Amino acid sequence: MTRYQMPVGPLHVALEEPMYFKLDLEGETIKGLHISAGHVHRGMEYLVMKRNFYQNITLTERICSLCSNSHPTTFCMALEEIGGIAVPPRGHYLRVIADEIKRVASNLFNVGIMAHIIGFTSLFMHVLETREIVQDIKETLYGNRMDLGANCIGGVKYNLNAESIAYLIKRLNEIAPAVEEIHRIYSTHSSILTRTRGVGVLPNAIALEYGLIGPVARASGVEYDVRAKTPYAIYPELDFATMTRPDGDVWSRAMVRLDEVKVAIDLIRQCLAQLPEGPVAVPGLPTIPAGEAVAKTEAPRGELIYYLRTNGSDMPERLKWRVPSYPNWDALPVMMQDNTVADVALIVNSIDPCISCTER
Amino acid sequence: MIELIRQVEDLFNQHLTPGYTFDTRINKWNVATAWVRLSSSEQLLPAATSIKQVGGRLHTISAYQRVEGKPSEIHEIAYHFDLDGATLTITVLLADGQRDIPSLTPVFHNADWNEREFMELYDINAVGHPNPTRLFIDENIDAAVLQKFIPFSDMVNAASTKSLWEKIMQQRGEKQ
Repeated sequence: MTRYQMPVGPLHVALEEPMYFKLDLEGETIKGLHISAGHVHRGMEYLVMKRNFYQNITLTERICSLCSNSHPTTFCMALEEIGGIAVPPRGHYLRVIADEIKRVASNLFNVGIMAHIIGFTSLFMHVLETREIVQDIKETLYGNRMDLGANCIGGVKYNLNAESIAYLIKRLNEIAPAVEEIHRIYSTHSSILTRTRGVGVLPNAIALEYGLIGPVARASGVEYDVRAKTPYAIYPELDFATMTRPDGDVWSRAMVRLDEVKVAIDLIRQCLAQLPEGPVAVPGLPTIPAGEAVAKTEAPRGELIYYLRTNGSDMPERLKWRVPSYPNWDALPVMMQDNTVADVALIVNSIDPCISCTER
Repeated sequence: MIELIRQVEDLFNQHLTPGYTFDTRINKWNVATAWVRLSSSEQLLPAATSIKQVGGRLHTISAYQRVEGKPSEIHEIAYHFDLDGATLTITVLLADGQRDIPSLTPVFHNADWNEREFMELYDINAVGHPNPTRLFIDENIDAAVLQKFIPFSDMVNAASTKSLWEKIMQQRGEKQ
């Protein structure tokens, strides 16, 4: 059969951001994939070295929209490590609540887009309608639908009172049954199963060899969640399990994300039940001495790591972050091998790629 | 967590020539981080192989210019590894003018993109990289371009400015 190459992207209806793929095809079967990146490379790591720590909290929140809160959280954790700053317990709880709310919205968005790609439009609408409740929560509690502006060095900039806690619980009570129903549809509906089971398979051995992370790795049976492996904030005091699936296909990745939505809702409820009184942040603007630190969190797409090097001034000497999407791109050539052209968008979406994050 | 760090330290003692430092910190969550500083880039591959031997994973690689008053031509590269939740950072100093460092891609598959990124942004050569092509920056643009051609960024220190807008308003004869 004749072999030929086919370009996909950089602009493509099923890709939210630009990425350029060249497919090696044999008929309609994919035999190779080349990825060409760089279309939204913004030089942000250069820019953060020209801003002080306080400005960089705002800037890092704008690296990405869907996992926006994970960036300032992790950046602040690195600063707090170098500065020896102890975040008050209530501050930790409020950080976890903000992160988990973002996780619910981010994961629902990805599985919703999956329904859109396979042409199950009514399900796409249903998932996004449920996600809209989370958007309402963010707007009500934080004043914004995407960038929460929740973090500061030594804690958070927002607080919850009895009224806002009651509101959050009321909305969670609306989301929880809707998520259960979505979970059931994704688990059992033949339109989902026939289109996603056995597609884009990533074997466990490759996930380990390639150093993949987050729901992509967990859907191939890699039991690694930063919240459990490298405890931070108040996760050690919360009761949760690491979600894994054994099969490593598109469906498993969607199911891990839905499983983690349920876990996130439960974590928010646990935080609200245990929320201690007290300050939400350390007072004043702390000074950060010279030093270096690494901070890690579990963002919606997986492990987010920040490396910060300071020299006693108020600007970083080096601030580097590695987002979960960065190593996960490597999985695509393996996932696509011997699949068909029709599944390209579906498989790309299944790693929940963030291109703005990857390229910075 | 700390056991794996101890195993790596033992392997370093066996396989690395002396001259490196090895410090360990444990935070209030009982999370361990280890900080290693190598005295020569020749120690890098044996160090990486030892980490692979105990099941470590490469997190990422951070290259940077040393800043002592102002950015210099002296670079350092920090390699961050995961040891089942603990983080080990290996820092290698590249002396003035040194541009070569052994590639870790043959040991850790996911070093590929990280090394291609520092090759194009800092003009450091990862020797032995299986696919040393550009990652984000186009082939037509010189390596380490941000260090060489930043007149506008130098001028405004990467800040936003109204200068251009004011110039246009002035040319149009409009009020500022």
